[in-house]
Amino acid sequence: MIAQEQKPMEEILGYLEGKKNIVVMGCGGCATFYHTGDKKAVDDLAAKLESAGKAVTKISMPLGMQACDTEKSGMYLDKNRKEVENCDALLLMSCGDGVQVVTEYTDDEMGLAKNVYPANDAIGLVGGGPFKFKETCQSCGMCELGKTAGICPLTACGKGLMNGPCGGVRVDNKCEIDEKKDCAWVKIYERMEKLGELDDFMSMRDAHEWGKCKRPRLFELEEPMTMMDMMGAMMNFNTVTGYTSLMLAKKPEKEKEEEKA
Amino acid sequence: MPDGIYSQMMKELSEGKYVFTGELEPEKAGNVDEPIQAAKDMIGLVTACNVTDNPQSFAYVSSLAAAYKIQLETGMECVYQLRCSDRNRMALLSDVLGAGTLGLTSILALAGDHVALGDTPDAKPVFDLDSTTLIHMIRKMVDEGKDLAGNEIEDPPKLHVGGAAAPGAAHLKAEVAKVKRKIKVGVEYIQTQVIYYPDILDKFFKELGPVDVPILVGIYPAKSFGAAKFFDEYVAGVDVPPDYLANMKKTKEIKDKEKRKEEVDRVNLEFFIDFLEYLKGTPSAGCHMMAVGYPRIVGPLKKVME
Ligand code: SF4
Ligand code: SF4
Repeated sequence: MIAQEQKPMEEILGYLEGKKNIVVMGCGGCATFYHTGDKKAVDDLAAKLESAGKAVTKISMPLGMQACDTEKSGMYLDKNRKEVENCDALLLMSCGDGVQVVTEYTDDEMGLAKNVYPANDAIGLVGGGPFKFKETCQSCGMCELGKTAGICPLTACGKGLMNGPCGGVRVDNKCEIDEKKDCAWVKIYERMEKLGELDDFMSMRDAHEWGKCKRPRLFELEEPMTMMDMMGAMMNFNTVTGYTSLMLAKKPEKEKEEEKA
Repeated sequence: MPDGIYSQMMKELSEGKYVFTGELEPEKAGNVDEPIQAAKDMIGLVTACNVTDNPQSFAYVSSLAAAYKIQLETGMECVYQLRCSDRNRMALLSDVLGAGTLGLTSILALAGDHVALGDTPDAKPVFDLDSTTLIHMIRKMVDEGKDLAGNEIEDPPKLHVGGAAAPGAAHLKAEVAKVKRKIKVGVEYIQTQVIYYPDILDKFFKELGPVDVPILVGIYPAKSFGAAKFFDEYVAGVDVPPDYLANMKKTKEIKDKEKRKEEVDRVNLEFFIDFLEYLKGTPSAGCHMMAVGYPRIVGPLKKVME
């Protein structure tokens, strides 16, 4: 998922200076998961804007309704057409993807010219949880994990080296750039040692093929997911057992306490 | 020069001579007067001098321009340091071709510190290549007359490529494996990061085992307490010994400038003469003296090895 955090109020209010009517829209995808787009987050931000003298219309997309999906965000924008038409700006509680999908929709489909501002800063594709997450992949388009024992050299290594470690590894094998992070290349070494692949470690990996990532990348799906597919994916035996197990699982209090400490 | 040898440093290394190299640091300035003077002061004392490329990610005069100008004006052979932090493979290739065109004969290929460590932390870090792929690219250019994409190079450059090693690395096995990887792709000489402790260097040589590539061991006689402290704080992966640092600190109390200089020299000689004596018994092929802005110490130190 795409981790994100809310921007400082100062910056948000800076974008909205001189603008009175604001539509605050919260994404029901990753942003909801990270509390930066769920109903409560929308309510909180709206309250802050109101106390700063703004008139706010709230659009809370429920879980599973992502702002980056044109069909879904379009539906919610259309439902609130009058407010969107009359607003001085939209404030999107989503990653930059959601912001841009909404911008395109208001431009191209609604025929409006509106400022759509980001309320969040997207941090990246992260894995982990429930408390701690780590950026693990930057969707480079040419996955190298098969050459580096499953640890992304481009993302986990602070310099994105294909052939590390660099000379700056700190004591305790922490990264040159940040003593809180592990050196990815020490980890790659240790995994390859366990896997009996040290010869491969000692061979040069070619420079990454950045040519595989010509931005913006376009992507086409021959058969988009239908509503029925979605229902089927959500409501089956596996979903029921999966969610039940998660509910019954012991809360990871330890990690939470560690975090607090 | 013998066939396939383009620099005095490589010539002496191949003859088995114990080689001394120095270090020159261009600064954030519109000239390279200081390193030019330092180069002049070290003529005859060292075989060649490295010209640093944005060390610790502080942005200074281009090492290519500086190395060319210093070599031209002083006759000191310059080892052009080139890091991957600030350039993609195209810019690196252009600079390597530029170096060949300007008559530079040796490149030290480095990954380079992350830009976040330096004085321009919001710069976009590049690292399109790493030290190994840069060494590979340079060897391909020189030996095959081709770039990484396989494009032909007309009249390929004639120069040598070296690499770095960090004997004090936290994870010695991973570091040594990386050094072996550089050797595999054809690195021609190695200059190590600064070392203060013999036992650390011993462990490094033991882990590495015998190799065909000459290794020059890095030392850093600091010209002042401030310089030593900066090194301790800012240079990734290096800890300056506390005793040495404390002795250097004491020199700050001396008011008289000349007397202070004498004391700084004394502290440095006391520490590094022992270290150089020890180096004689190691498999090192030379010593890289990173005495930046401190050429007067090079002569007295070198005497130890004669
Ligand atoms: S190499 Fe890294 S960034 Fe690229 S796809 Fe694989 S995990 Fe993602
Ligand atoms: S310390 Fe390790 S993770 Fe950090 S930049 Fe160097 S090689 Fe990469």
